Amino acid sequence: MAANYWDSTQAKFWTFTKPELVDMRKDLEKANQQLYNKYPLPDRRLMSIYIQQQLTKLGRRMSLRQQALATAQVYIKRFYLRVEMRKTNPYLIMATAVYLACKMEECPQHIRLMLGEAARQWPELGVSESSKIGECEFALISQLSSRLICHHPYRSLTELSPIFGLSNEETQLAHSIINDSYNTDLILLYPPHVLAIVAVFLAVVLRPAGQPAGLQAHSTHASASQQSPTQASPTSATGFSPTVSSSAAQQAFLGGFSGLKQAGPKLSKLVDWLAESKVDMNAVVDATQEMVSLYDVWESYSERACKEGITKFVKDGGTAGSSGVGPK
Amino acid sequence: MNGTPYTPQRHINDHYDIVGFISSGTYGRVYKAVCKRTPGSSQPTTQAKHPDGRNIEAFAIKKFKPDKEGELQYTGISQSAIREMALCTELSHPALIHLVEIILESKCIFMVFEYAEHDLLQIIHHHSLLPRTPIPASALRSCMYQIFSGLLYLHQNWVIHRDLKPANIMVTSSGAIKIGDLGLARLFYKPLHALFSGDKVVVTIWYRAPELLLGSRHYTPAIDLWAVGCIFAELLSLRPIFKGEEAKQDSKKAVPFQRNQMGKIGEILGLPKKVDWPLLPAMPEFPNLQTVNMHNPGVNRPIGLDKWYRNTIQNNNYGGPQSPPPDDSALDLLKKLLEYDPLKRLTAEQALKHPYFTGDGKLPSWNCFEGLETKYPPRKVSTEAHEIGTGSLPGTKRSGLPDDSLLRPPQKKMRDG
Repeated sequence: MAANYWDSTQAKFWTFTKPELVDMRKDLEKANQQLYNKYPLPDRRLMSIYIQQQLTKLGRRMSLRQQALATAQVYIKRFYLRVEMRKTNPYLIMATAVYLACKMEECPQHIRLMLGEAARQWPELGVSESSKIGECEFALISQLSSRLICHHPYRSLTELSPIFGLSNEETQLAHSIINDSYNTDLILLYPPHVLAIVAVFLAVVLRPAGQPAGLQAHSTHASASQQSPTQASPTSATGFSPTVSSSAAQQAFLGGFSGLKQAGPKLSKLVDWLAESKVDMNAVVDATQEMVSLYDVWESYSERACKEGITKFVKDGGTAGSSGVGPK
Repeated sequence: MNGTPYTPQRHINDHYDIVGFISSGTYGRVYKAVCKRTPGSSQPTTQAKHPDGRNIEAFAIKKFKPDKEGELQYTGISQSAIREMALCTELSHPALIHLVEIILESKCIFMVFEYAEHDLLQIIHHHSLLPRTPIPASALRSCMYQIFSGLLYLHQNWVIHRDLKPANIMVTSSGAIKIGDLGLARLFYKPLHALFSGDKVVVTIWYRAPELLLGSRHYTPAIDLWAVGCIFAELLSLRPIFKGEEAKQDSKKAVPFQRNQMGKIGEILGLPKKVDWPLLPAMPEFPNLQTVNMHNPGVNRPIGLDKWYRNTIQNNNYGGPQSPPPDDSALDLLKKLLEYDPLKRLTAEQALKHPYFTGDGKLPSWNCFEGLETKYPPRKVSTEAHEIGTGSLPGTKRSGLPDDSLLRPPQKKMRDG
């Protein structure tokens, strides 16, 4: 499918416009108004950050590949477009998404191992039989309409890096920015190559060749730059933070698009290349804005708030989840 | 939602009437079905449409059984089922079997495909019945052209089929080829692991490429082209060209060297040589290659593809105005497919441009039965078992259900007949 992203089920069935996403979520909210009132949750992006960090921890325990985790995140995003999160146990959905993604990305894990590791990491998982993951797998595949092949920006990044002569450090930074992008809706909105271009752009602007990481924030992702990019970032359990600080992202956005030619040959090459390519520039600008906005909202991230928000409705699962993951 | 049961959106029995049972394998069973009809009416309640607009009249429903026989619990879907579900959902081409939908119900997976009346194994079998008749040259050429078209699409989409053989190539009653059974297929773009590490053994032994027999770890789409070469030869001669015996894996030990199969190939092509295949000495089983001639001296005096081809054309009653033999370019195409060095072997794209197809200026038909009078018997469907059985004991063998062997004689018997 790599040759034909435009023919892929991702392009045809799992890419939306912003208004479409808004409508789908409004419908979910309308249908579950009481649950929304009873169980308020932090910003969707903050919830995504929580989920990503949980998955990364699980991935580290199990030595999973980054791509499998990215696929799992896409599955979770798609699933929660169709099913109200407050009606599910997100930990079970996470464990199942990872289990399924590992098979799809050709690094299968045994269902019992998956259960064991998930249960150890999440006491809230609440299931002790692997058959529950098996059952949830049916629900997940059914909601995804069996469209399981994902196109990620990582591959485009691999192709773009040599074109723009990115250093290993810049490539790694772009890679981490792509990881961060899974906390936005971008993968539901734009083709993967657009996201790769945004990541390259931000990486080049943030870390011009030969300069120290001046604009770059306290990124733990970047500290993993010596690691193979295919491995889940070995971030320390407490030290999760965005790849880019909010202010740096703001500066990059403003600087990069107002013709910051002095930023070096890489950036001007990128700008020239973009001008000649058929890449949708509006998409690139909008996606960059979304990333800037993500880094802004990231500043208010509180793991505790997300965790407690989930715990409340999971605990009340008896009333909240009467209709389960099954469709209505 | 812990403990809340999964509720299917669609039920197989609400939409399909099972006509009968087609076959079974390690994965599960295949049934023939038609659209559900309301009692007392001949009109289907629902109508399934092909993307090209026509109605689909009949279906082949592949029911995957849970991993363990008689398992009442969800055990997790096998990786091969996941692959087949994902790839069939993603891919769409006239020469690939069309997936209508997937229904997940009662711990079983039902993949609903468009039905195809024939497959190449059946057609070969039909022609090998006495009086033996050759597969008409025009049909052969059309079949091969369609196979390469489907294969090119797969390879362009980074999919290696990995299990091409006559039984997996369906033919509709209107002569369209449909490559089926993507259970072993997988994406090969930058795999996370070497392709070798996932499934140690791929491709049914007779169709297995020499680089696989020699233990290559990083194989390529070229393995599919070798298999197609073997299929081409089999359509010409009505017998598998390299009919070796598989060396079975002893317990959990390493995969054995397939000496017998390598010998069968060597009897016709001779053993591979370094001059023709520069990377040959790098193959893990290369040292074992030297032992093949001790067990099979025939490899020292190979008959060669030219002679094999002439004999085949003669023995198969090609000739006469009724069935002119294939153009000589067929032999050249066959040679280029059964090329030892995977780097020199023809790709699907190159094969489609071969003079065998382009030579007379008119490309082959997409109906392999065009202009033919032969009527092939329809697929055997056992009507004894109407139940697709979503309820009780999924996947367990039930008494009275026909076994594989009844519907499809074991290959050996069929070939001898």
